[in-house]
Amino acid sequence: MNPILIAFVGVLMLPQFVASWRLTLFSLSLQGLLMAWISYDLHTSLDSVGAWIQMFDLAIVRGLAAPIALYAVLRGQRASARHDVIPPNLMSWTLVLVLVLVAFRFADMLLPAGGPDHSFVAAACAGVLLGVLVLSTQTGPFSQMAGALGIENGIAMFELRGHHDPAMQIAQTLILVATILLFRWYLKTLPRASAVKVSAVEGMHP
Amino acid sequence: MTWLLLVGIPVVSALAVWMTPAGARASTVLLVTASMTSIVAVVHAALPTEPPFLGGYVRGDATVQLFAPVINVIFAGIAVYVRARVAIEPASRRFVFLALGFLAASNLALLGNHLLLMWIGLEATTLAAALLIVRADVPSSRLASWRYLLFSSVGLGLVLLGLSCLTRSMEMSGHAGTLFLDEMPAAVAGPADGWRQLGVALTLLGLGTKLGLAPMYSWLPEAYDEAPAPVTAMLGAVQFNVALVLLLRVLHVYRAGSGDLIAGQLLTIGLASIAVSTASIVATRNVKRLLAYASINHAGVIAIGLGLGHSASFGVLLYVLSNAFIKAILFLTAGKIEAHYGTKDTKSIAGLIKDLPFSGVFLMVGTFALLGFPPFGSFLGELLILSALVSSGQMFVFAGFCMLITVSFVATGRTIFPMIWGEPKQVRTWPRQRLGGALHKLIFLVLLLVLGIYIPPQLNVLMNEVAHTLEGP
Repeated sequence: MNPILIAFVGVLMLPQFVASWRLTLFSLSLQGLLMAWISYDLHTSLDSVGAWIQMFDLAIVRGLAAPIALYAVLRGQRASARHDVIPPNLMSWTLVLVLVLVAFRFADMLLPAGGPDHSFVAAACAGVLLGVLVLSTQTGPFSQMAGALGIENGIAMFELRGHHDPAMQIAQTLILVATILLFRWYLKTLPRASAVKVSAVEGMHP
Repeated sequence: MTWLLLVGIPVVSALAVWMTPAGARASTVLLVTASMTSIVAVVHAALPTEPPFLGGYVRGDATVQLFAPVINVIFAGIAVYVRARVAIEPASRRFVFLALGFLAASNLALLGNHLLLMWIGLEATTLAAALLIVRADVPSSRLASWRYLLFSSVGLGLVLLGLSCLTRSMEMSGHAGTLFLDEMPAAVAGPADGWRQLGVALTLLGLGTKLGLAPMYSWLPEAYDEAPAPVTAMLGAVQFNVALVLLLRVLHVYRAGSGDLIAGQLLTIGLASIAVSTASIVATRNVKRLLAYASINHAGVIAIGLGLGHSASFGVLLYVLSNAFIKAILFLTAGKIEAHYGTKDTKSIAGLIKDLPFSGVFLMVGTFALLGFPPFGSFLGELLILSALVSSGQMFVFAGFCMLITVSFVATGRTIFPMIWGEPKQVRTWPRQRLGGALHKLIFLVLLLVLGIYIPPQLNVLMNEVAHTLEGP
């Protein structure tokens, strides 16, 4: 398996074991930059518009803009250093390891003959599954954003070997930028606990 | 090529609203733009279908001809509602800009001949709608908006992943990976492999999330409840149909090779959606949430119909079109009722027919249509789906469907009808309702009756043509 892909899977797992929002953002940033590196390995000459757009999407938007945008908000809010993206217990940590193994098993099933695609599929699948794990165990906006961005990165990893029209790539990148700007706005304006008291009549607030 | 006016007109209007101090006239711009796109859509529906153009990315086939007029006419009705309430709740420039962006993106997704272009359009409607859901003075609407965006992002992410798997499947079978709808049938002619099955399953799950189907439906009641009434109508009657068209396109291409997977998945999530929504309809006392749960219920019925294919296809289309008008009528009426009484609690509202006669009548007639009474199109549509369930031997689904629909039927009637009759519980001063302000809902009602009593020949031809694409082998 490609060492960069091994590093990518390691980076995916990092925030699950170390409870810090700074590390979570650092992990998201590294995911973007590592994917940019892999993309550069695949299209070394960067001789097409599509390759440049992909590089911009991965390195600038995912690797830098998204983590920095969220970092600035949390720093402004003086958020406490500790932040769990999954419940901090042995059960959750075991689940993380199991999901990564499931991702590799899944890649074995889809590509029994192995090949260069196998590792990409396994790493992408691990990203998606760990993102879903975060989303299914957390209710705080920041954790949910980290989970959603993790899933987005998993999908981007899967798409690294695909080819689309540059116009489509630009539109997809613009959608991602708009989504990140919205994430930043929600992080600024939503109550951190996200608990809203609800009266006896469902959905009606006292 | 003139189909592109459906995207171009709202984009130009949105830019005009953004760049000029439109102020109070913004809602007029919204109404004029929506009327123009409605006319364009209706005129094109009567013209011959167009082959793909603009590099093959856009086309105006029977599906577009059927859905574009529905979506644009409903949007025009929503614009009438916004314009009529301008004295009470002036629509801000931001609201109109986002609403026009939403319309342009919806039409772009509808016109797409490329699944990724449709996906981009649907994502753009989601981003616009997320901001439209937020009400400045209601903090809980921000949370609902966030959950809407989160679920939509994940759902559409799954769709994107599914589309990638589908192209990978084509490449594995020796074809060039393509997402152009007119090229896909040739590229998926071989037997289904693991990639294709995974791609179809992920696409259906992701689109199911956008349609409010189980298991990822929990965003829907909250978003529909918290959003302003015109936005709820946009989500329920416009965006729902755009997501559905994307689903119809996927089914058209993949039913032949993955029919069993599609039938199994859609029947399961359809029945599960009806079950969870029925339980919630029984429990809720909030009128907007009740209508939201009814939307999940209806999405479940549509999923079951789509899962069956064959003879259910025409019934599904009839049900979908009726459903769009029903939701527009009911959500706009619910918004009026909430604004009048300052509550959504069904127990606090009575005597609507005396206090707000037009709203009372629309709530009553809309509820009859919602429950599938004749002579509305929803009755005939549901009947055709039930008949297809029996003829395909799906007796377990048939029994579950009938039982759950009966329970939701009783629970909805028990909650809504006491709001309409009796003496008003609250005395409110309100300008007398004028028919002009409710004209859009009257037009929707007429269209609903047309679908149930007499389907014009041209519409019938279009519906048959689209139904044929869904029937499967």
